[in-house]
Amino acid sequence: MHIAKFGHGFSRRVFLERTAQGICAAGVLAPLWSTIARSGDITKAYPAELLSIDAHTKGRIKTGDVITAANVDIVKHLLDPVAYRQVKEMGRRFTIVPTTTDATRLFPHEYLEATLRNAGKGRLDADGNVTTSDGKPWIGGNPFPDAKTGLEVFANLVLSWGRHNDSVYAIRDWDISPDGAVSYQYDFVWAEQNTIGLTSGGTPYIEGKEDKLRYQAVYFTAPSDAKGTAYLNTWYNDQRKFPDLIGYIPAFKRVRNFPTNQRFEPLVPGITYFLSDAWGAGDPMLTWGNYKLVGTQPMLGSQSANFTGGRNANWERGLHGGPQNQTFFDDYKELCPECFVVECEPVGYPRSPVSKKRVYIDARNMMFIGYVTFDRRGELWKSFEPAFSQYVDGNTKVMDGKHVAWSWTHVMSHDIQTNRMSRFVQAREIVGGVRSEYNQGPSIYSRYLTEQAVRRFGT
Amino acid sequence: MEPSQLNWRIARSIIGHRWISATILLAITLFFAAGLRNVQLQTIFSDLLPSDHPFVQTYKAHPNFGNPLTVTIMVQRKDGDIYNAETLAKVWDLTRDIDLAPAVDHDQVLSIATEKARYAVAVPGGIDVRPLMENHPPRTAAEIADFRERVKKSPNARRFLIADDQSATLINATFIEHNLDYGETFRYLQQLVEKARDAKHEVFMAGQPALTGWVYHYEWEMLGIFGVTAAAMILALILYMRNVTGVVAPVLASVVSAIWGFGFVGWLGVPVEPLVMVVPMLLVARSFSHCVQATERYYEVFAHISDRRKAAEISMAVMMAPGVLGIFTDVAGLMLVAVAPIPAMQRFALFTGFWAMMLVPTSVLLTPLALLWLPRPKNVKSIVGADAEEGTGHRAIKHLLDRIARLTFGRRARATTAVLLVAVALGGWEFSKLTIGNPVEGTPLLHPDSEFNRAVAAINRHFPGVNTLEVVFEAKSEDRLDRVVRHADTIMTMQRFQHIMEDNPNPPAATLSFADYLGEANRLFSGGNPKWAPLDRDDAAVSAAAGALMVGTSPKAFLHVTDFEQRNGTVSLWYKDNRQETVDEALRQARAAVAEVGAEHPDFRIRLAGGTIALQQSMNDTVDQYHYIILGLLNLVILLGCGLAYRSLMAGIILLIPVNLSNLFLLAVMTALGIGLDVNTLLIMAIGIGVGIDYGIYLLSRICEEYQDYGEEGAAILASVTTTGKAIFFTAMINLIGILPWYVMSELKFLSDMGLMLVMVMLINMVLALIALPLCVWWIKPHFVRSKDLLVGEGVDLSQFVFHQPAVADEARDVEGLLADSRRKGVAGAKS
Repeated sequence: MHIAKFGHGFSRRVFLERTAQGICAAGVLAPLWSTIARSGDITKAYPAELLSIDAHTKGRIKTGDVITAANVDIVKHLLDPVAYRQVKEMGRRFTIVPTTTDATRLFPHEYLEATLRNAGKGRLDADGNVTTSDGKPWIGGNPFPDAKTGLEVFANLVLSWGRHNDSVYAIRDWDISPDGAVSYQYDFVWAEQNTIGLTSGGTPYIEGKEDKLRYQAVYFTAPSDAKGTAYLNTWYNDQRKFPDLIGYIPAFKRVRNFPTNQRFEPLVPGITYFLSDAWGAGDPMLTWGNYKLVGTQPMLGSQSANFTGGRNANWERGLHGGPQNQTFFDDYKELCPECFVVECEPVGYPRSPVSKKRVYIDARNMMFIGYVTFDRRGELWKSFEPAFSQYVDGNTKVMDGKHVAWSWTHVMSHDIQTNRMSRFVQAREIVGGVRSEYNQGPSIYSRYLTEQAVRRFGT
Repeated sequence: MEPSQLNWRIARSIIGHRWISATILLAITLFFAAGLRNVQLQTIFSDLLPSDHPFVQTYKAHPNFGNPLTVTIMVQRKDGDIYNAETLAKVWDLTRDIDLAPAVDHDQVLSIATEKARYAVAVPGGIDVRPLMENHPPRTAAEIADFRERVKKSPNARRFLIADDQSATLINATFIEHNLDYGETFRYLQQLVEKARDAKHEVFMAGQPALTGWVYHYEWEMLGIFGVTAAAMILALILYMRNVTGVVAPVLASVVSAIWGFGFVGWLGVPVEPLVMVVPMLLVARSFSHCVQATERYYEVFAHISDRRKAAEISMAVMMAPGVLGIFTDVAGLMLVAVAPIPAMQRFALFTGFWAMMLVPTSVLLTPLALLWLPRPKNVKSIVGADAEEGTGHRAIKHLLDRIARLTFGRRARATTAVLLVAVALGGWEFSKLTIGNPVEGTPLLHPDSEFNRAVAAINRHFPGVNTLEVVFEAKSEDRLDRVVRHADTIMTMQRFQHIMEDNPNPPAATLSFADYLGEANRLFSGGNPKWAPLDRDDAAVSAAAGALMVGTSPKAFLHVTDFEQRNGTVSLWYKDNRQETVDEALRQARAAVAEVGAEHPDFRIRLAGGTIALQQSMNDTVDQYHYIILGLLNLVILLGCGLAYRSLMAGIILLIPVNLSNLFLLAVMTALGIGLDVNTLLIMAIGIGVGIDYGIYLLSRICEEYQDYGEEGAAILASVTTTGKAIFFTAMINLIGILPWYVMSELKFLSDMGLMLVMVMLINMVLALIALPLCVWWIKPHFVRSKDLLVGEGVDLSQFVFHQPAVADEARDVEGLLADSRRKGVAGAKS
């Protein structure tokens, strides 16, 4: 007979008390980050009810079960409101997989090492920017692995989006209309290169670029009428400054300068997400404000088992749900023992159509597993739900250098007011022959992240 | 021996098994009452359009063109232009507040204060696109001057967001249909508009959602009118009957029939159109009048035989055939409205037709049952007219009817006929000038001076306006990813079509298509020189311009000219007014232009047309096409029905003459008042004939009956007009009481007009029933009048039922004697 050491509501009471006090403190039975630092395993930080869906639901949902409209009410408290509605009303389903207790499977290897190496060195300066304890730009990994405030939690998201020094994501996107048909389809490249906070290569900065945070570009390769259209973002380390944004129109060989605060428009017609939505933290963090921790809770998040490379050569995935059975991706969710629910407001955007965003961040790796925005009436507007995984599927493995890659696999961005869905996968290869790749070094910059590269790509 | 016809057998059976009958009626009532919870009062605007018309089919296939979900708010500076801090701040605040409106699509709020209103300048290597306003409204003189300069660089803002005289600017907001609660959104926007008005600013709001909001707003007042109308009709009943039973029985029957009518549509899940709610009120009035006649007849019989059960049975039997015939014509009139392919009218026909049909069981059958159980009133003699102390009102009516009756037979008939023929000739001459349609600036649903129509007029004065003709370019392929609007052939054809339209002698006030945006994008991305505005005639060039235009933009920004997938597009043509000449000319020009550019292309076809201009024409075409069809069918159905009932086609013809003349006079009056034929008229014509013919049926039946007594048409006419005429008079009055408040009190012009026309047609019908029908009988002297075996005859020999109780026999004889005496006096005068 198994005797539970802690009653079923124990963790819930702990979470409620912390939220009431407005503090983050990852780990219920023991501080999470020191537990990870010691063994890489989170088991000792949480009671059984937070480590297994079986225990959490007292056996009503078991690992391997598929969550559908019939049983979603059992796990309603573990989902963001849009995900719940998708399952309950729109035919979405997902499969439960075991909770990942080995923290090394939740990060790119170098990023975890940098986080451990630099733990305790992150500070917020008087302006609110992240620095090291000696006032220099950040040096890699999560600056606040044991974040205490909503802003610190967010800093972990903003400073390194993909958690590699550089990444090229080959993305295939489908935009689904309310009647369930595909109304737009794009192939595009998302390239990003951090200039500070580098986790490997001997130096945390790209020389001469210490005032920047990252370069990031989007290149469309298909369909033909969008081919060559590109955007280049230059982010500053100072999170109060808006990124520079230019677009490139290949047919005219012209650059279009956008207002720096135009971040609530789609890049191309048909997609539902804005630049502001990227990674749940698509804008400099100090252009938003009023960060608040509004809850700490377990959640169902797509944190593992989502790589499909062993079953689909191009890493694409099965579909289901919606009017034409193609609105949602098949995906896998696990019980994430502890998530911080942080809200913030677009204080730097007087014309923002968004009143606030709520981001659900997994305490284990400080990565967002859910993100919803609200319109200015306070009504739910959009959800931007990512999935992550180590890139292992059966015998298929993808490396990011010497180690198995960890990255996002797919995203579903759902405007529930107009009921338009954009869903996209990180594909192995897209039209134009571009492939996903990570930690390729300085070549990424010259290939993708300069105005010359943007112009060259369009020709 | 008691009569053995079907009506007698039914009456005997119902009264004989009165508890079973009552239980069945109660069970049916409970069944329909359960359906009441599903009743929806809902105006579905697209269902007010004729579904088979090609324009409406085009509109329904592409409902987004013409901005049906967009609200337009105009802020006007009264003492100058908008380029001042106060006005610009007001526009900024209003824009931000509108973005908080329920169900607003945040991607589709457009004003000079939104980021979507941009100006673009060519810079070395590319273009710089910036919002007209920065992150706050211009406050200083320098900021305002800079803003003015930016507007100059934004041709679309100058054309569609700021008035030519700079005194006004527009804020457009589009709403998400499946989230939209029109009432809630309208209330929110209206309070914004009212708050924004001040001594220096006028604020107007137009657009379909605003119109719907106003209609819903006024529909609430219908409950008040309903209450007033019902109270007035009950008061009339009280004054007429002066006893509890005579009031309770009609009210009970009417309530039951209303439950059946509403419950029926509730169970069917069919929404009830509030805009024609005056007709259900007319049905309540019809129910009252049927019940009053049944009640009067019951007491008349009761006064003879003093046996309540027998009186109920006899009155039910004798009233059944004329009652059913009267209701049959009502049903025919209401149901035949469904011939016009207007979904809202078809639902309305189903609802009111069923309700009218149910007046048979509720009025004809239930009323005698109710009377059987309700207490006997004390004023029976007065009710049946046997009271020596007849009221002043009754005497006056009788006197008037006597005068009228004497105009219709004998020597005076010639003069009366001559006058009537002259009136018909004049009416016919006026009728020949009848026009189709009632164009108003704004909507015919509301009064011309309503806030909404004034807003439309103001916006039309300052901007291209709201009178559009949408010519749709529709993709042929099924491939959702084939963006036909980005094809060179589509764009070039749009441009050519616009060019032809603009080249006409009376061109549209403005034209707009996706092609216009592409030309501007091409110019800007090619360096800014105007010479680059024309597009090259190949797919690559057009696609390049479209790609440039759409970068960083949602397709929602162009939903007014192309759909989300950019497969179908429209060329919008604006007109300054919607007068019929303008509509005719616009359609003629559009048809000619389509013929010139070709309607069928490899990838798309051109369809006429959406927009207010086309939809107005679709209504007019339908009215023009169907009003004679409905009129003809109604005449045919009633001719056959009445012919059967009276066993004479001549009876049908005689009955139809006054109602058709009534319609003629109604249309003549409308023409004289400058009112054209519209969808209201379709309804009024049908109802006017179906309901109006009842007067003729009552009178003709009575003439037949009286002929048996007097054997001569003149005397029979006099006796009938002075007796049944009173019932006709009461029926007409109760109908008027049911309808007139709608004309006087309703802020909805549609409802108010309908009330007015119904009042007119019912009054004309009453007068013609009392004059034209007796004249016809007098001149034609039809054989059926002499028939003793009429299905609809109300006569019955009561002597076979009376004197079972000696105690009451004397009283009954007194009553009968007084009745006969009264009639003899009148008829003696006629014969002399």
